Amino acid sequence: MAGSEAKRAAGFLHRLFATNSARGFACRGHEGKAGGRRPTPPQAIPPQLNAPPSPDEVVLRTRGLVRRFDDQVAVDGLDLEVRKGECLGLLGPNGAGKSTTVRILSTLLAPSAGEAEVLGLDVVKDGARVRERIGVVPQELAVYEHLTARENLAFFGDLYALDRVTLAAAVERGLAVAGLADRADEPVRNFSGGMKRRLNVAVALLHDPELVFLDEPTVGIDPQSRNRIFEMVEGLRARGTTLIYTSHQLGEVERLCDRIAILDRGRLVAKGTLAELQGHPDVRRGASANLHFDALGDAQRAAELLASNGITCTLDEERPDLEEVFLDLTGHALRDGVPS
Amino acid sequence: MRAWTLCKKDLRIYSRDRVGLLLGLGLPLVLAFVFGGAMGAMGGGGDGMIRAKLYVEDRDQTDASRELVEALQAQDGLRIVLIPLDDPETARVRVADGNGPAGLVIDPGYGEAPGFGGESKLRLVRDPGKTIEQQVIAGNLLPALFQSTQAEIGRSAMTRALDLIDFPGIGRERAEEILQASWDRMDELVAELETDGSFDADDDEATDDEAGGFDFASAITNVLGLEVEDVVGGGDAAEDQKSASQSHAVSGIAVMMLLFGLIACGGTLLEEEAEGTLDRLRLSPGRVSDILVGKFLFTWIVGIVQLVLLFLVTSMMFTIPIFRSPVALFVLCASVAAAATCFGIFFAVSCRTRKQLEGLSTIVVLTMSAFGGSWWPLEITPEWYQTLGHFTLNAWAMDGYQGLFWYGKDLVGILPEIGVLLAIAAVLATAAVLQWKRRFRIA
Repeated sequence: MAGSEAKRAAGFLHRLFATNSARGFACRGHEGKAGGRRPTPPQAIPPQLNAPPSPDEVVLRTRGLVRRFDDQVAVDGLDLEVRKGECLGLLGPNGAGKSTTVRILSTLLAPSAGEAEVLGLDVVKDGARVRERIGVVPQELAVYEHLTARENLAFFGDLYALDRVTLAAAVERGLAVAGLADRADEPVRNFSGGMKRRLNVAVALLHDPELVFLDEPTVGIDPQSRNRIFEMVEGLRARGTTLIYTSHQLGEVERLCDRIAILDRGRLVAKGTLAELQGHPDVRRGASANLHFDALGDAQRAAELLASNGITCTLDEERPDLEEVFLDLTGHALRDGVPS
Repeated sequence: MRAWTLCKKDLRIYSRDRVGLLLGLGLPLVLAFVFGGAMGAMGGGGDGMIRAKLYVEDRDQTDASRELVEALQAQDGLRIVLIPLDDPETARVRVADGNGPAGLVIDPGYGEAPGFGGESKLRLVRDPGKTIEQQVIAGNLLPALFQSTQAEIGRSAMTRALDLIDFPGIGRERAEEILQASWDRMDELVAELETDGSFDADDDEATDDEAGGFDFASAITNVLGLEVEDVVGGGDAAEDQKSASQSHAVSGIAVMMLLFGLIACGGTLLEEEAEGTLDRLRLSPGRVSDILVGKFLFTWIVGIVQLVLLFLVTSMMFTIPIFRSPVALFVLCASVAAAATCFGIFFAVSCRTRKQLEGLSTIVVLTMSAFGGSWWPLEITPEWYQTLGHFTLNAWAMDGYQGLFWYGKDLVGILPEIGVLLAIAAVLATAAVLQWKRRFRIA
C-alpha cells in the first residue's frame, strides 16, 4: 500500500467517524519494506527526540578509543562527539562496551589506545580536573548504608570542598530533588531500592557538574521512583547540563535523549537522532495510520470499508499497558514506605 | 546415588574454592610445622631442641672453673654465652635487661672449694618471669656440676640437703650414715648414666613436677647450694612469675587480635570496591592516594583504641603495670598499631576480594603470631625459630611490651623496638601505596 493511499484512507475514515472520540480501538494501515510488516512501537515520540544536536561546543570527544582486558576488546576504536547541553543515549546489549566507555570517560579506567577528551581536558593527563567538573551516577548503589541520606550527601559534598553554606544548600536541594527530605535523617539501609536509587542520583549532582554520566540509573525500581529520576534528568536537561545516559530500557532513551549511539561488541554501530536512526538503511521502516474508535463495532466497520477499497488493515483492540494499569491503580505519587 | 551425586557436587565446589582449600588443608600443615618447630619436636634433637641461654661469668679463672664452663657448654639444653671479665654488661645487667633468662657467676675462690663445702662461690642471677627456661637451666646445671666436680659436688649437695632437712625423726648421725651408703651407690649410678649418655635433664619431667606444685628450678639450685638472685620483678618469685605470664599472655593476644582487627578494617577498602563507593570516592577531586591515607588513619585510630582499651581493662583484672610508664606505653601502642595498620592495608590492596583477604589473613596472622611469640615466649623456642620470629612485627611488639611491663623499661629503653616497628610500618606502607597505584594507576 502506498503512503498516499494510506493517508487518503485515514482521511476518509476520519470524516466517516468524526463523531467518535479517539480512544479504545485502533485500525492501522501499514507500509513496509518488502518481505514483511512490522508494527511501530505504541509510544508517542517526544518532540525533542527529533531535535537536531546542539550546534554549540563539543564537550566530549573520543578518537579511536580502545580498551582491552587481556585478549578481550571491550571498546574497539570508538569515535564519539557530544555537544554542550545534549543528552546522548548510549545503547547496546550486555557486553557492548557501554560501561567501559563511561568508566574511561569518567577517568576511572585508562584507555588502551586512542584519545578521549572531556570538557576540553584529556581524561588521562588531566583526570583530576575532569573529575571536578563531571558527575557520575554509577550502576551500583554507591551510597553508605549505615549513614543517613543527609550524611551521605554531606560527606560526598565535602569531598568536593564545598564551603559550609554551599554544602548545606546543596544537601537540602539534593534531598528535595530526590524526594527524600522527609526521610533525610534515616539510615539508608532502611530505604527502599527506589529511594536508594534516587539518592544515588542526587549524590552525583551535588557539585552541579557540567557533564553527567548516568549508567543505568533506573535499574530495578518502581515506576514512581523511575519517574522521579526522569524528572531529575529532565531538570538537568532544562538547565543545559550535558548528559550521557546508558540504559537497556529503550523507552527511557527515547524519552530523555537527543541523540543515540548504539554500541555492539565495543564498536559504534550507529549514531544520530531517533529519526536519523529510523532512517538508517539497515533498519526496516513502515508507515501506519492510527485511527481510534470507542466501539469495537465502529472499528470493524472501518476495516471492512478500507478492505473494500483495497487497503490492507489490521484491527487491534487497544489495551492499556501494564505500567498504565499500575499507575492508574496506584497513582503517580512516590511510595517510600518503610521496607520490611 | 542421590547422596553420592550431592557429595560429588560439594567436592567439586570445594576443590574450586581456593580459599577454602587453603584454610582446610594448608593451614593445618602450617600450624603443625609451627607448633612442631616451637616445641623442638622436629629433628629429634640438635638445633631442634629448646636451648636456654645462660650467661657465664668466670671470675675465678681456675682449672676447676674452666672445667665447669666446659661441662656447661657440653649440655644440649644450654646455650652458653661467656662474658669477658672486663665487659661492663655483666650477666646481671643482661638478665635484668631481659636479654636472657639467667646468668651464672663463678666467683673467685671456686677452684679452691668446688664442692661447695663452705661459702657458695656460684651465684645464679635469674629472671623469674622466664619460668620454663629456669626449669631447663636447673635441669642442665645438675649434670654439668656433677660432671665437672665428680663426686665432690654430689657429696656437698647431700650434706647441704642434710642441713636443709635435718632428719628430725632418725637423728643427724644416723642420717649421715644412710646418706653415705646412698652416695656410694649413686657414684655407681652416675658412672652408668654417663656411659649410656642419658644424663641430660628431662625437661618434660621438670615441667610436670612444676605442675604438681614442686618448683624444680628452686629445689635444684637449693640442693646445689647456688646463691640465687632474682634480678627482675618485685622479689616474690611466685607473684613475679604470675605477673610475667599475664603480661605476656595479654600482650600476645592483644597483638594477634589487633592484626585480625586491622586487617578487617583494611578490608573495608575491598567492601567499598565491591559496593561501588570506592569508585565514587575515586571520582571525587583530589589525589587518589588520599583515599588510602584516609583508610590508614581510620585503621590506625581503631588500632590504638583497641590496644589502649584492652590494656586498661586487663590491668584491672591482672597484675599488669600499665601505669609504670604511660607515655611509653602509648607510644608503643601507637607504633604497634601503625605497623599492624600498614600490614592490614597492604593485605587489603593486595587481595582481590574480601573472601580472599579473610582466608589469607587467617593463615598469615596465625603463623606470624606463633612465630612472633604471641602464643608462647620465644625464649623457649630453638634459635632458628627465634631468628625467624623476629621477621614478624609480633616479636618486636612483644619485646616492647615485655620491656615495659616486666623489665620496667622506659620510653628510651624500648626505642629499638619502636624503631623496628615504625620501620616495618614504613616498608609495608610503601608496598601498599605501590600496589594501590598499580591497581588504580590512572590519574
